[in-house]
Amino acid sequence: MAISKKVILVGHFGVGKTSLIRRFVHQKFSDDYLTTIGVKIDKKVLQVDDMEVTLIIWDIAGETNQAKIPKSYQLGAHGVLYVFDITRPSTYQNLHEQLDYLKGVLPNAPVEIIANKKDLISEEKQEEVLNEIALEGIRTSSAKTGESVEEIFEALAKAMVS
Amino acid sequence: MAQNPGFDQLRKILLEQDREEREELAKKLSELDDQLNSRDKLELRVDPILNDYEQHLKEKFSYLFGPQITESISKQIKDSQDEVVEVLYPIIGRMIKKYITNEIQKLSEKVDQQMELAFSWEGWKIRIKAWFTGTPQKELMISKLIEPKIEEIFVIERDSGIVMGTFSRKESVDQDMVAGMLTAIKAFVEDAFTKEKQELESIDYENYKIVLKSFKSFFIAVVTSGGMSMAFRDKLDDQLIDFADKVLKNARSESDESEEDQLSGRLAEFFNEFENGDK
Repeated sequence: MAISKKVILVGHFGVGKTSLIRRFVHQKFSDDYLTTIGVKIDKKVLQVDDMEVTLIIWDIAGETNQAKIPKSYQLGAHGVLYVFDITRPSTYQNLHEQLDYLKGVLPNAPVEIIANKKDLISEEKQEEVLNEIALEGIRTSSAKTGESVEEIFEALAKAMVS
Repeated sequence: MAQNPGFDQLRKILLEQDREEREELAKKLSELDDQLNSRDKLELRVDPILNDYEQHLKEKFSYLFGPQITESISKQIKDSQDEVVEVLYPIIGRMIKKYITNEIQKLSEKVDQQMELAFSWEGWKIRIKAWFTGTPQKELMISKLIEPKIEEIFVIERDSGIVMGTFSRKESVDQDMVAGMLTAIKAFVEDAFTKEKQELESIDYENYKIVLKSFKSFFIAVVTSGGMSMAFRDKLDDQLIDFADKVLKNARSESDESEEDQLSGRLAEFFNEFENGDK
């Protein structure tokens, strides 16, 4: 059985949304930073149990406040990846508020929260930040090393088809 | 006063080496003078050096002089626009003339075909059609000259941008991504430029036009080439509404797995012969 799902990547600018997609879809990473304008679409097919899931991935330009993003980019999404930069407090300080907003717009879509750029800080510091945020189920990742990237998209795909 | 022979002998011994060196120096100077003043000999010595330098210049020319030359040409063009136009005008003129001649020739061939058509059964059909539909006959004839053609059709879920079905006459790029981008463009334009609830209806690019027809939960994007006449647009609109009414309502109640294939099959049924048929 084959099915297509729309996934949106949201979060502040410069947190590594485009790099995560680049790592997941093309197995590449670049240190060059090019800000995303508007939205960019990518695609990857995953096998979830006996189902072929085509992820249509919407890489939405970073915004400090999700309410500023055109709602039509968010509507119809079957899953959400909320990405923040674990080394930049400003990108996760309003996390609870942003997640509440997304839940309001997409009440049935599973949301994965990603603490990206884990390669830049120590394990202890990561623990410290996650304790400070105090939210269940945050996954740490590194688009640079590729750590946990595949697993995150697979988990979201599973959550969307279950 | 008689010189002392011993003194002469001493002087001879002391200055002998100086004398030899002086003679040697004079000889070398004479050779050098000969080389400098004899073109053949000078060329023999200098040519290899000049050749090496010439080779070096050839290899590094753009690196060494590129910026200066570009700057100089830019300045020259800027300062002498009239002269540049004078030089380029005949060349560009000839190109344009050639292009127009070519296009007129093609048009002339098509007009000939239309003239033949005018006195044929097809010609009478156009006259009758123009009379019944109220569309000017010339519009029908022109639309025949640059016939619009459906290249691709995408049925897309409105919010998610997921492809529900496609129809294509050629191998296109990834249809999922095209559908996604069309949805994003549509969403962006409608969010950014329309104050009231309005829909993006078409996207034009050179010889192609993407006609967008929005429905409640999906929209249809039709990629067309050629000249889009009002009659063609009307016919296309009617066909899209008919398709949505007859096919899409039922398609949504069918199984997920085969829905896209079934819908694509129905699209082909509806639009394969669209340009020629009376559907």
